[in-house]
Amino acid sequence: MSEQSTQTPRIRANRFSLMTLEWPDGIEDLDAWLQTQCNKAPALMAEIALVLKPPAGIDETAIHRAVGFMRRLNIGLIGLTGDSAHRVIAESLGIAWISGQNVTEPGDAVTVDAVPASVPSIAQAMVVEGPIRSGVQIYAKDRDLVVWGQVSAGAEIMADGHVHVYGRLLGRVAAGVSGGSDAQIFCQQFEPTLVSVAGIYASSEQVPETLWSATVRVGLDASGQTLNYQTHE
Amino acid sequence: MATVVTVTSGKGGVGKTTSSAAIAAGLAKAGHRTVVIDFDVGLRNLDLIMGVERRVVFDFVNVITGEATLNQALIQDKRIDNLSILAASQTKDKDALTEDGVEKVLQELADTGFEYIVCDSPAGIEKGATMALHFADHAIIVTNPEVSSVRDSDRILGILQSKSKRAKEGGKVAEHLLVTRYDPDRVDQGEMLSKEDVCDILAVDLIGVIPESKAVLKASNTGVPVILDAESDAGQAYDDAVARFLGEERPMRFVDLKKRGLLSRMFGGD
Repeated sequence: MSEQSTQTPRIRANRFSLMTLEWPDGIEDLDAWLQTQCNKAPALMAEIALVLKPPAGIDETAIHRAVGFMRRLNIGLIGLTGDSAHRVIAESLGIAWISGQNVTEPGDAVTVDAVPASVPSIAQAMVVEGPIRSGVQIYAKDRDLVVWGQVSAGAEIMADGHVHVYGRLLGRVAAGVSGGSDAQIFCQQFEPTLVSVAGIYASSEQVPETLWSATVRVGLDASGQTLNYQTHE
Repeated sequence: MATVVTVTSGKGGVGKTTSSAAIAAGLAKAGHRTVVIDFDVGLRNLDLIMGVERRVVFDFVNVITGEATLNQALIQDKRIDNLSILAASQTKDKDALTEDGVEKVLQELADTGFEYIVCDSPAGIEKGATMALHFADHAIIVTNPEVSSVRDSDRILGILQSKSKRAKEGGKVAEHLLVTRYDPDRVDQGEMLSKEDVCDILAVDLIGVIPESKAVLKASNTGVPVILDAESDAGQAYDDAVARFLGEERPMRFVDLKKRGLLSRMFGGD
């Protein structure tokens, strides 16, 4: 049964890193700049998935023109972002609209910590000190995340690797956010709003009651379809 | 150098302005030269609570824009010598507050010799609130013992430790928790979070618990900071909170269930 279920299609939450081309305010078109970039590195510009962020309030035709020009240059444009007024333009151009809204508010404490390229072997865990307050988002890219202290309700902590919380976990937690299905969550006092491993998630209602407030470890079971909880008491 | 104390909460209606007025009056009464500033531009209330609404000629925004001098805008309290009030503008909106403008005014207040600058923050996490907490040395987080208020306080604490000037310079704003509208009866019945629950969730040191009290409404309506009503429970609780803020140790009062007499237990009622 478990073998069959791994074959079924499914929708998973994922984080992809996309390049954003920021179009500064007050500049009429990007033609000259784009042409230079393409001359410098044509293969790269065709290869990378790019999201265009036009300045708010710019003329619609300017966006149309820019997108047309990018297509002629064979640039891998996949969508628009930025001013939500541009959503309609993205639709009319047949490209994706990528809302920046649900990511985070500007200026909020978002910590993204990537592994430095110079460290070849062991990616050291990102260690942060709590309390992690409501509205704060922390993402440990390509590594584990260790939280020393509490994670408040309304805070979000994520890692590509494991997540460890030495304290009370009240917020949202996600391990293996880029799809690492062997990632796990270790938590001293488990009271999360949402828990997710490699895109398989459960809300607090779905967390077994017996595990509430316990010291818990969460991973995926052998099928890779369901969350598996363990407590050592 | 003056100490900037921001009174904030995230959520509205929890008692920020009442607390700002009480704390500022308490600090002044303890002998410190204190000014209290209303940051709620467009929805000013502090002048009413302080009972100076008829004496407001110029306001905070006028000083920022240079339409009035600080001396013209500062209102001297008639009850306490050490206390001054800087009212908010009722006609402008919060965009009138600029970082440079606020900093200039705070600096000028410090140069004038004020020891404490109490900033009464508006509700929310927008411009007015972020301006009020930007220059904070200390933050007093006002929270009601209920979940939504506690969550908003948690949010504002996060903003405080990421967006304030001190945080951006690698330091930390000192945090103090003030629980207001506390009703031990309702806590006992499980209708309200206990002060321990609140402290547990927010992980901030408690400087005071203000009981739910009729004296607060009366004080607001008569324009007298409740701390000056020394007979009232709320007034005494604020007095304790200010003393703790200044480093004194005092036991928590008004947090335990009132002992009910035999008759009241037999016949019910309060």
